[in-house]
Amino acid sequence: MRSRLPTLAWLALRNLGREMRRAALTAAAMAIGLALLIVSRTLSDGAHEDWIDSGVRLGSGHVVFNAPGYRDSESLEDRLSEDQVEAAFAAVEGAGLPEAVLTSVRVSARGLASSPDGAIPAWILGVDPAAELPFSRLGTDVLEGRYLEERDRLHAFIGQGMALRLGLRIGSRMVLTAQAASGDIEGQLVRVVGMFRTSVPEMDDVLVHIPLGTARDWLGVEGATSVATLLPHSTFTGQVHQAAAAAVQSSGVEVTPWEEASPELYSAVRIDDAGDWAFHLILFAIVALAILNAVFMSVLHRKRELGLLRALGLSSRQTGLVVFLEGVLVTAASGVIGVALGFALVWIFFRNGLDLTGLMPEDLSFAGIVFNPVMYPVIDVRHLTQSLFFIAVIGVSASVFPAWQAAALDPAESVKVE
Amino acid sequence: MKILRSLALAGLALALLPGPARAQTDPLALEIIDEFDRMMRGESSAGRMRMEIDTENWSRALEMRIWSLGTEHSLVRVETPAREAGTATLMVDNEVWNYLPNVDRTIKVPPSMMLGSWMGSHFTNDDLVKESRLIEDYDIVISHDGPRDGEDVWEFTLTPKPDAPVIWGRIEQQIRKRDRMPVWARYYDEDGSLVRTMNFSDFRVLGGRTLPARMVMEPTDGEERTVVIYLELEFDVGLDEDFFSLRNLRARR
Amino acid sequence: MARRDNDIWWRMAWRNLWRNRRRTAITASALSFGFVAAVLMIALMDGMLEQLVSNGTRVITGQVQIHADDYRPERSMHDTMGGREGLDLAALVGAAGSVEGVTGVAPRAYGGGLISSGDETAGAVLMGIDPRREEGVSRFGTSFVVGGMPGPGEIAIGNAMAGTIGTAPGEEVVVVAPAADGSMGNELFTVSGIFRLGMGGFDDAYVLVELGSLQDLMAMDRSRIHEVAISVDRADQADGVAARVEEAVAGLADSLVVEPWSVFHEQLYFMTSMMGAANAIVAMIIFGMAIFGVANTMLLATFERRREFAVARSLGTSARSIVRIVVCEGLFLGLVSLGAGALLAAPVVVYFHEFPLDLSSFIGTYSFMGSAMQPLMTVEYSWDGPLVSAVALIGTGVASALYPAWRAIRVPPADALASR
Repeated sequence: MRSRLPTLAWLALRNLGREMRRAALTAAAMAIGLALLIVSRTLSDGAHEDWIDSGVRLGSGHVVFNAPGYRDSESLEDRLSEDQVEAAFAAVEGAGLPEAVLTSVRVSARGLASSPDGAIPAWILGVDPAAELPFSRLGTDVLEGRYLEERDRLHAFIGQGMALRLGLRIGSRMVLTAQAASGDIEGQLVRVVGMFRTSVPEMDDVLVHIPLGTARDWLGVEGATSVATLLPHSTFTGQVHQAAAAAVQSSGVEVTPWEEASPELYSAVRIDDAGDWAFHLILFAIVALAILNAVFMSVLHRKRELGLLRALGLSSRQTGLVVFLEGVLVTAASGVIGVALGFALVWIFFRNGLDLTGLMPEDLSFAGIVFNPVMYPVIDVRHLTQSLFFIAVIGVSASVFPAWQAAALDPAESVKVE
Repeated sequence: MKILRSLALAGLALALLPGPARAQTDPLALEIIDEFDRMMRGESSAGRMRMEIDTENWSRALEMRIWSLGTEHSLVRVETPAREAGTATLMVDNEVWNYLPNVDRTIKVPPSMMLGSWMGSHFTNDDLVKESRLIEDYDIVISHDGPRDGEDVWEFTLTPKPDAPVIWGRIEQQIRKRDRMPVWARYYDEDGSLVRTMNFSDFRVLGGRTLPARMVMEPTDGEERTVVIYLELEFDVGLDEDFFSLRNLRARR
Repeated sequence: MARRDNDIWWRMAWRNLWRNRRRTAITASALSFGFVAAVLMIALMDGMLEQLVSNGTRVITGQVQIHADDYRPERSMHDTMGGREGLDLAALVGAAGSVEGVTGVAPRAYGGGLISSGDETAGAVLMGIDPRREEGVSRFGTSFVVGGMPGPGEIAIGNAMAGTIGTAPGEEVVVVAPAADGSMGNELFTVSGIFRLGMGGFDDAYVLVELGSLQDLMAMDRSRIHEVAISVDRADQADGVAARVEEAVAGLADSLVVEPWSVFHEQLYFMTSMMGAANAIVAMIIFGMAIFGVANTMLLATFERRREFAVARSLGTSARSIVRIVVCEGLFLGLVSLGAGALLAAPVVVYFHEFPLDLSSFIGTYSFMGSAMQPLMTVEYSWDGPLVSAVALIGTGVASALYPAWRAIRVPPADALASR
């Protein structure tokens, strides 16, 4: 029996060959389904990575180091000492990522920004320009002027919204007011060197970058309020978070992954994932039914032929096996075609992106999440393997029932003339 | 003398703390400022004033009693209109408390509200308490010396020092020579546009000293303004710091 | 005569369908399943959009708002509806409430001020509300951690602000607010409750005060309000309701502006348009796959009958007659299977509409626009979805049956018979 398997496979293959049209139609359903799955999976993984990336760049990075209590109080009292900042650096280095990790030391304060035109709330970030530039990327796409530079002192990089509301231009003076570490309200003069515009209007209204040294002098702090780290990819978050948390435990530093630091972003990703699941489930079901129908129909159609096989001495199990193998072969073939087709599409999108500019406004943000109109796929091996596995399961299991039917054929009955 | 300095002389805002960089400032300007400084320092005063506020949406007039001691203490209590009588503001150092007789409570103005309006006027709470550091923050030069409209005057131009945390691009002030009284102060932004103006008039002898009894603060845009008029004023009334307490803020008198 | 002629074709088609029951069953299952999938998918997507809009509008804003035309964007307290004189509030609420599709009408006034308890003071946005009317529009009433909505002389505070100033229900707080006449309104209020909407920007900044009390505090006449928030039974109908409300309230005051959420909540509107577009793509894919499945099955089923057609041809049946029979069969099959599909889909749709699937055990609760939400998978009723799906699927079924039939009858009968 076992030795017969190649023969049976050969038989199945020849059957398929003779029925090219039906085999092609069946395979096409699966291949297209699989290709669609691959494309939609990679595109939505890409979109999620994009949301996360833009979210953590404007926020506190993939993993952030704070003094305990800072995330609740946002007070300068709960700040990292210089030693703790060093410990955070060491912890990131010790996490052993193969690729470069960006870190940015920040002193953050909520206060007011004022000009002769008025005063508005401001979120002031003291940053090291060289470290911050590739991190937030606010400075890579400057609307006007330039980003902060190493030797800057009394300079500020502000959002377009703030500039409009305070009537500021490049070179304008503005006064930042905030509660310093001493508890006193302190003012600080800065001049606008550049302006940015993000897709998040709330950011453009309040965010101000000033040089780290200026912020430290003004607010009377050493060290920082946070050390933000940007990983090459969000999938490293768990690994780095764990390693870093263990490393800085003794220094009394708190480490927070982006999922906790930006719960909105995290839930948006999860919700969207759930939507994808529903979509994929329905897609799977349709593909499965198409396959089931096709294979089933072929059994029906070849009643006589299968009956003949039985009459020629194949056991009912073997007849069933032939039909089953046909299904498996079609599944395998369409798997290969589907993957090829899927990757071809992914490759196209990979190079050019899927441009939805016509379907949505160019600067769309919602609840602080930035939606980029051009979507780029990201290949997540785990997700793709899942899709492939499911298609394989569907193809194989859709072949079981017809095979069982074929095996149950009564040879005498089936060879009767209709 | 904070009330006086803040309200009456907000423009001139004679900075009483000698700054580190006097060299930049015209000696004559310094002399005039120092003269004012000596006049005001350590003084106690008491009086009454009237504040008229005109805005786009409403107009109102308040009369209040005022007390002050030096530069760090002052107390204001509303007398009329009756609906608001007893409402009081205490300013000590950089902090502001309001007493509300209606509910018999005292409220400290939180830092985030310091830039809010005081009593609905065009002055912010911050204007009332801000440590005015003109000499520290500005280079002061005499930009005009001679007659203007038949009056012999000086005109000072105050330009912020490079690091000074002030929002104005420039302040100009006119002071008449005969009694060294301020005539007006004009606040410009960096583009040179006039943002607000303070006009001083009705120079009278109050409590034995010549002072501008009427001050008008007008933002440039719109028809709004706040007018402050001194009705009575006395100096050396023998107040000490204990007077400027939260307990006294509440006391109805 | 012609009619009887037709009858014959229909009867033959019907009989044909029952001749090979198994094949018919397979084909019908493809059709009905495709229908169920398409209908469910569309209902699910409508449900997702409705959820999104609902989460964005049913917490605070409502789906339609009325303001004085100069109120936004400055939101000055002086720009009340109907100008300084205000308007007949009861008439306005009544007029808006009687508009078809309106489920709740809530008048509101806003002010800014200080809230003080003990030594602690914080700046706050004062929101004057009618507690009973808010029930139909916002979720304030159901978001209380302790206590409840404010009555006259009472105030409800968000948990974040309550923490900042340190107060609890039953305690007194001082509220100071610049009044419309330029004076400093100040009054003692009793804390009626602590609410938690879960929204950072709301719980630490807004307080709820009974409308009349706020108007008194701000020296405003009882006829003066800033906003009327209206809820509608279906968020996607808000534009139409807004237009009807505008008509209904037009005579009550000059220069009132009635806007649906798509105008006053522009970001949400963009978001739903984008989601709508993304959904359209997904729906097209699902729909395409369903059509493909149906076509596939029909093609196979009809190819299988080539011999049968050839026999019919050689027995003298005209090509037209065969086409006619195939079309009739296709229609019958489509109607039967769509009927079955509808029977299958209806209870599922009704069930998920009435009892949305709670995914919180699967993905946990999530926050949305700063507000904690239950992840519900719900579906919406619609007629367009099923109708379009039905027409498209029957069309596909008939077309994909015709093609092989057409091929079959064009082949000389002898060849077709010989081929197997």
